[in-house]
Amino acid sequence: MNTLNPMEKTMIALVVAFMCLIVIIPLLFFTSVAFSNSMEVNSFPKALFASSKVTVKIVPQDGGKYELLYDYGKGSGYESILTSARTSNFESHFRRQYGVSISGDDLFKDWEMTRTKGSMEFTYRKTPFLNFIQFFRVVPNAASGLRNSIVVSAYTILISLFFGSLGGYAIARYRFKGRDQINVALLIVRMFPTVGISVSMAVLLIKMGLFDSMLGLACIYSVPNIALTSWITSSIFVGISKEMEEASLIFGANSFQTFKNITLPLAFPALAASSMYSFLTAWNDTISALILTNKNQTLSLVVYKAIGTTSSGIQYAAAGSIVLILPALVFTFIIRKYIGQMWGGVKL
Amino acid sequence: MIHTISNRNRFRIPKKAVPYILLAPIFIYYIIFWLIPVLTNVKEVFTDFDGHFTLLGNFKFMAENELFKQSVRNTALFAFVSVILEYLVALLLAVVLNISFPGNRAMMFISMIPMAITPTATAILWKTGLMSDGWINTVLLNLHLVDKGFIYMNAEGLNAVGMLILIDAWTVTPSVMVILIAGLQGLQKDQKEAAYLFGATKLQIFRDVTIPTLRPSITTSIITRMIAAIQVWSISVMVLGYGKAPFLVERVAFYIEEIPGVETSSKLAYTYSFFTTVVVLIATIFYLRISERNARNQA
Repeated sequence: MNTLNPMEKTMIALVVAFMCLIVIIPLLFFTSVAFSNSMEVNSFPKALFASSKVTVKIVPQDGGKYELLYDYGKGSGYESILTSARTSNFESHFRRQYGVSISGDDLFKDWEMTRTKGSMEFTYRKTPFLNFIQFFRVVPNAASGLRNSIVVSAYTILISLFFGSLGGYAIARYRFKGRDQINVALLIVRMFPTVGISVSMAVLLIKMGLFDSMLGLACIYSVPNIALTSWITSSIFVGISKEMEEASLIFGANSFQTFKNITLPLAFPALAASSMYSFLTAWNDTISALILTNKNQTLSLVVYKAIGTTSSGIQYAAAGSIVLILPALVFTFIIRKYIGQMWGGVKL
Repeated sequence: MIHTISNRNRFRIPKKAVPYILLAPIFIYYIIFWLIPVLTNVKEVFTDFDGHFTLLGNFKFMAENELFKQSVRNTALFAFVSVILEYLVALLLAVVLNISFPGNRAMMFISMIPMAITPTATAILWKTGLMSDGWINTVLLNLHLVDKGFIYMNAEGLNAVGMLILIDAWTVTPSVMVILIAGLQGLQKDQKEAAYLFGATKLQIFRDVTIPTLRPSITTSIITRMIAAIQVWSISVMVLGYGKAPFLVERVAFYIEEIPGVETSSKLAYTYSFFTTVVVLIATIFYLRISERNARNQA
């Protein structure tokens, strides 16, 4: 640090700034899209931050009609968009195009004064998170997708923890014939591409009556995660001293109490970390869900399909993506110290 | 009390059997949910539509498929170029930034974000940018780098693969950098100092001390990355659509999603997924061999 000359310092500052910009700018624009209304999505150039307000110009017309004008910001000023006497037309226009959830009657009440004062500009506050609400309303299976994703993640965590921690305990605590071979086998299963089993898994799950079910899907997600859980927990079980468990037994605790009061609390960080890995596998996957489900889609699959069906409403897909990203982001950061170990034994 | 103890002893499981009993559930699980699907897949790949054995029939069928060659080329290109690009850039960044400076931790934190984003969400993120009125053109025009926005979505062939490689690089490179920095910080300082004392140059230290120390962590992480890169598909489909930049797993998804329920398409899905698995296994073994040989040569 002390040996750095000003040149080097400047260079490092530039590199850091450049890297952060490269990472942050796409994220900002993307978040902006998720909070944009249709007008902003179709406008160009794009804003780094989505606006929170919408301004329209209202011109009163004969027969109880109002004419609505909007400025696209392309320099051509206000353009006529809609002329109508019906409140419902404006209500749906405001919701769909401007991201403003307001009743048509309220709009007409506001515009009443243009009858006397002539055309005026009105500014409305965008309804916050309207794209998120719309995502669950408009995109097929979105709400059930979120529920399914949570369910399948829970199943995957339970299955992986149960099978994996048994294995981890056996590998850590016993020296037995074939131990090394089992370690190698677990590594192979962990690295094995899921796509290599998911097509034929469909046949198996149909036979078992688990096709298009979250339990069936969890069975395939657990394949790499059981091996991973064994691996993570075995390294922790090695560290928990056997003497402590024995002492607890001598002091009269039964094996269940010992497990509950001594072993489990000490092993908890490892169990939590492997649970989060299981969660991420189930939460982030799309290919297995595509192959093994039909009606019961997961959220990741719903977002994948949303891009094909609602090309006009990419802001809804973007909002859905943010719902998808947040839990994954939180869990990844919680387990980041394990990621380094996963990727080759470095501490983060 | 005594009675129960003796009772318990009578049913005691021999100690040697305990680990096998603990491992039995895993064993059974993997027979059902791993071995059976793997064997089913193998069986499907080596039988024809009438259920007769065929050694190469399905592979020929797959190879005649118009997008097969492209998908193999694209997958190889993507896996190879993206991994090399990401690791070189990340290594460079890691070496430059392997010092403590204000905001160090914040930068590390920011760098980890892209990798944590679900792949389907990453695809939508970049789709919003790559649209002709998207934010990438906005940035390029604002910086006056171009006079007119590009149309990215029509990219085909190698351009499309290149574009996907860049997206992947955005996702992966910062995290690899963080991992390499962590590896570098674990490096023994005295090793470096000793090398200095013996008159080694910075480059020599980098080659003979830094790289060998990092090798174990680089090896594991490159294999993990390579396996993931070979299985790329959702970004290609979501950004460009099916068939624009075909990949091996993209073909599996195509036959499952776009032509479901047809005998030929399920056969092709089996064959493609088998082929992908074999490619992953070969690539892993190949990489391990090379890195072992390099390690030996260095020693």
